[in-house]
Amino acid sequence: MGKFLLLAFRNVFRNRRRTLMTLLMVGGGVAGLLLVGGFFARMFWGLRESTINDGLGHMQIFTAEHFSREEKHVLDTGIDHWRQVAGSISSGGHVRGVAPRIEFNGMLSNGVKSGVFLGSAVDPVAEDSLGFTPRLGAGRDLDSKPGGEIEALIGAGVARSMNVKPGDGLTILAVTADGALNGIDVQVVGIVNTGFKEMDDRYLRITLPSAQRLLQSDRVTNLVVGLDATENTDEVAAALAPRLRGQPQQLILKKWIDLAAYYKQVRSLFSTIFVFLGIIVFFMVLMSSVNTLLMTMFERTREIGTMLAMGTPRSWIMALFVLEATLLGVLGAIAGVAGGNLLGLLLNHAGIHLPAPPGTTVPMAFRVLFVPSLMIGSSILVVVSLALAAILPAVRASRLQISEALAHV
Amino acid sequence: MDEIVSVEAVTRRFPLNHDRTRNLVSALSDASLGVEAGEFLAIAGPSGSGKTTLLNLIGCIDQPTSGRVLIEGVDTSRLSPGRMTALRREKIGFVFQTFNLIPVFSAAENVEYPLLIAGVGSHERRKRTAEALDSVGLSARAAHRPDLLSGGERQRVAVARAIVHRPALVLADEPTANLDTHNATQLIDLMHGLNQRLGLTFIFSTHDARLLEHTDRIVRLCDGEIQSDSLKEGGFRGQVPALSLS
Repeated sequence: MGKFLLLAFRNVFRNRRRTLMTLLMVGGGVAGLLLVGGFFARMFWGLRESTINDGLGHMQIFTAEHFSREEKHVLDTGIDHWRQVAGSISSGGHVRGVAPRIEFNGMLSNGVKSGVFLGSAVDPVAEDSLGFTPRLGAGRDLDSKPGGEIEALIGAGVARSMNVKPGDGLTILAVTADGALNGIDVQVVGIVNTGFKEMDDRYLRITLPSAQRLLQSDRVTNLVVGLDATENTDEVAAALAPRLRGQPQQLILKKWIDLAAYYKQVRSLFSTIFVFLGIIVFFMVLMSSVNTLLMTMFERTREIGTMLAMGTPRSWIMALFVLEATLLGVLGAIAGVAGGNLLGLLLNHAGIHLPAPPGTTVPMAFRVLFVPSLMIGSSILVVVSLALAAILPAVRASRLQISEALAHV
Repeated sequence: MDEIVSVEAVTRRFPLNHDRTRNLVSALSDASLGVEAGEFLAIAGPSGSGKTTLLNLIGCIDQPTSGRVLIEGVDTSRLSPGRMTALRREKIGFVFQTFNLIPVFSAAENVEYPLLIAGVGSHERRKRTAEALDSVGLSARAAHRPDLLSGGERQRVAVARAIVHRPALVLADEPTANLDTHNATQLIDLMHGLNQRLGLTFIFSTHDARLLEHTDRIVRLCDGEIQSDSLKEGGFRGQVPALSLS
């Protein structure tokens, strides 16, 4: 076996220029997949963390009714004893904090012009402790101290539409938990750029007590849970489930992945693109390798004939060609992984920025993640491609007529 | 007398084009021949006379259109492809006109190859390879690759490769055709010496007069037919006691 492997290895380097070209092609394919896959992985990671840190949190707790029926009025399906629930959750391992939220909507007006808003009410201290800081374009964040004017953050689109700036006042109107119409005056303290134009055109945020006063309810829509690391989500979710079962209301816990619809759509789209790229690389390597290996087989026809004449089993000839191609694939994969990582390192240090993705306003930094599973997967892909590419030449070589092969010039 | 090869009324026809049923040309017609163990036999004849075809049939690398070839009494036409391969591996050694060494192997590795495919253990392989290379006077060139050897040395490596697994029969197709007179004479002496010392049966095709001078028996072919089968006066026809390589 050792000699046979040696024969295969030496045959790989018989025609060095051709081998180099094949290695470049195979290595290029692997490096390309690593760069694209690494970029996608970095993008997924960035999108995941920004989705979580922009306020989604690692988990959210709702009442079961929130998903089973439509609300008649705001906070109709909200959580009653949310302080008790939040206290119970906060004591769990890996939990950094719990932030109560109210989601509501209504109308706002500057006295001249009116518009609709999608509002959220938060506890600024709890939000801040979880690192959920709004992306302020102007002004400051909400102040949690009671008393004084009711403060509000509005989206950049709202500010433009209402022609207001930090320090100006607005009136917001919403339907209370009892179905009545209520209104409060707020002072704009900051303008927010969420990165999504549609959100910026409707965004409004006030403090939790202000919203409860506006909506005439002590309930909250949900509790957002922040953890020390995203990787601990499953573990903490499993640990929290029994605690939620002991509450007066039926509560359910949703992990970030269940709520991050945009993240899932992006990931699905780019994963499909990556699979498509993988298929292209697979066939590129397969087709060009078949041609190269067939050429090799024709060049070695007399040698194969000699080996067969001496009594080499035909299966050995097949195995030799597949082994040579596999070795070539392994060498190409090693070159590709090394080259891909080196290129990735260079690109990461080049400070390249891509235009803002559709629907966002922030340019994206081009960075590549080094993903071991991607390296292994890409390597296996090209090794399998080459091994498959060797089948046709291997079968042809093993079926050569010995007398004809020996007469081959 | 042990007949090692028996060719019985063998005919071999080849198609002239892709249509394998029509336009057949006859390369060998109704040839019969018996070869005994220990013979040093030449198949002579002009180009296209059927020498290589006859050697290919005896070497089990081609099948006759009609007739049969027996090796040590075994009818090769009845053998499965696998058994035929095993028969070539165990019973026959080949020497080719163009040496046909594996270029990426050293001289020793080339000689070792028949033992490798026969499943001989590494220690035994090394020992027998060294003996075979010694018997052709190339021990000092064992580590050289074929492209660093002269034509004569390459053919001697090919001879060592053909005898290393101690076959019953060595077939050589025009072994001196690519050699100069000096190397050709050396090779003829070498093969004749191995025939004499080891009792190896040699059958070779040639039209080299230098080689024919050393043979005991000459079978002459012309247009695919055996024209004559002559035993030289005082020539040996029969079995010599087999000796070991060492």
